[in-house]
Amino acid sequence: MQNDNPRSTATLGGRPIHAMLVPVPITCFVGTLITDIVYWRTAMMLWADMSAWLLAVGLIVSLFAASAGLIDFFGDHRIRELRSAWIHGLGNVTVVILSIFNACIHTRDAYTSVVPTGLILSALVVAILLVTAWNGWTMVYRHGVGVREGNRP
Amino acid sequence: MTSVHCAAAAALLIALTACGPAPIDPRRQVGPNPYLPPIHQYLVTPFHLAKIVGWNGATPAVAPGLKVQAFATGLANPRSLYVLPNRDVLVVETGGPPATISRPKDIVMNWMEAKTHSSTKPGQRILLFRVTRADGLPNEKTVFLDHLNSPFGVVLVGNDLFVANTDAVVRYPYTPGETRITAAGVKLCDLPGGPIDHHWTKSLTASPDGSKLYAGVGSNSNITENGIQAEVGRAAIWEIDRDTGAHREYAAGLRNPNGLQFEPQTHVLWAVVNERDELGPDMVPDYLTSIREGAFYGWPYSFYGQHLDPRVQPQRPDLVARAIAPDYALSSHVAPLGLVFYTGANLPAHYRGGAFVGEHGSWNRSVLNGYKVVYVPFENGRPSGPAEDVVTGFLIDGDKARGRPVGLAIDSAGGLLIADDTGNSVWRVSAASP
Repeated sequence: MQNDNPRSTATLGGRPIHAMLVPVPITCFVGTLITDIVYWRTAMMLWADMSAWLLAVGLIVSLFAASAGLIDFFGDHRIRELRSAWIHGLGNVTVVILSIFNACIHTRDAYTSVVPTGLILSALVVAILLVTAWNGWTMVYRHGVGVREGNRP
Repeated sequence: MTSVHCAAAAALLIALTACGPAPIDPRRQVGPNPYLPPIHQYLVTPFHLAKIVGWNGATPAVAPGLKVQAFATGLANPRSLYVLPNRDVLVVETGGPPATISRPKDIVMNWMEAKTHSSTKPGQRILLFRVTRADGLPNEKTVFLDHLNSPFGVVLVGNDLFVANTDAVVRYPYTPGETRITAAGVKLCDLPGGPIDHHWTKSLTASPDGSKLYAGVGSNSNITENGIQAEVGRAAIWEIDRDTGAHREYAAGLRNPNGLQFEPQTHVLWAVVNERDELGPDMVPDYLTSIREGAFYGWPYSFYGQHLDPRVQPQRPDLVARAIAPDYALSSHVAPLGLVFYTGANLPAHYRGGAFVGEHGSWNRSVLNGYKVVYVPFENGRPSGPAEDVVTGFLIDGDKARGRPVGLAIDSAGGLLIADDTGNSVWRVSAASP
């Protein structure tokens, strides 16, 4: 049976690298919002410190995830023809840029490292992630991007 | 596209970092009523580091009528000085405990901090220099006390020598003329030390009658970012009973007080204080102040009286209401760590009665500030005029550091001694013609 799904170019053992990595920044950035909210409510520095670590790890892994995603995006024109791919890609680039700003805000000392700017950025990032994740799921589960069909070895 | 995206992000960051307010003339912030610009919270706080180049045979520059000589070189982070009654000079070679890491920023900060200090491993000991020569320079050097724990303050009361390690005041028996103490010290009282020990230098002095000791205990953060629970007993000057070790907070709200000294005419305690960072190139000015018993000087909640710091939560309006402003601003980020009132007779009459201040120098300002020793004239026990540069040349070409002045002392012949931790030297300033 012919596999005519859009193909992933950046793969490891036939599995798309982007899909392997992307849960890490998503979890970290959602976690940042949670720890920011807890810091805002408690003013206990431990939570603000956790936000800073989550942002740092999220950003580092997101650079690899984004690279793999971009390679896939340019690796198969059928992906570029998907509207959901454009929304997913541009949205996630926005997420990374906002998170770089957010990590800078989180280098401030004590309360204003989170309240209000850090907290607002963290919430904005999660809101955008909901849209980009939805479109990511559209790409995979509707259009089969990176999914191999046919005879399983 | 990834690299384009990274470059764009980097360009954006640089643009936003550069967006802070331009530094003002520091002289607007020297004296009793400093100009206080609006605070500015950065996206990325400026790290402007002086590249350490060393002296290579050069010496600091001094004001007219003065001369400077190398008292000692090749030391291992000399940071404070104490002169014994028999003219011997104690030089404390010291460095802070390992910095802790609470968040990614600390990794960068610790790396920057290391770059702005000498790479020589601190001695963690006290050296004794015997001075018998007429020119005031030493002719003998011994290791006076070894294996100390980040020592800083030293004071002799009678035959008791007190050393302020970063975690305790320790008493040693001292016999006049001895060049090495072998007796084990006896702990007089604990001081706030680790595991987090951000401002670790514990300055020490004794009351004129010798019955009380005063120890400066700096804050455990810039502005409570290690949590308010890490600040117990800190940002304060402790009064310690010399005999029992019983102690209380003599004054509080002093972010990092150093150079504790009694003004010789009025017998009032004075200190130099390092104020908070990351609120702009000209905020908040460091200062020289008399220390009023029971007074609260603002940190962390406010500065220069009731100016609130938005980074501190929860606030304490009850403390802010009684926060007092310090006496004399030295301008921002100069990092004063040494203070000595001139009681000698060697320097020109111009320098009698006032205070010398050792300014270690800034990191959080696009144009470097400090890196010099200044003189603040006093009249009737109060500052009476603008600070004057006395010893400069620690900085060359605007951003290279040959050394950085820290602790000061007046030797028995009336010379001004300057500990230079980055230049690993002690300098002696005296009258150009005796």
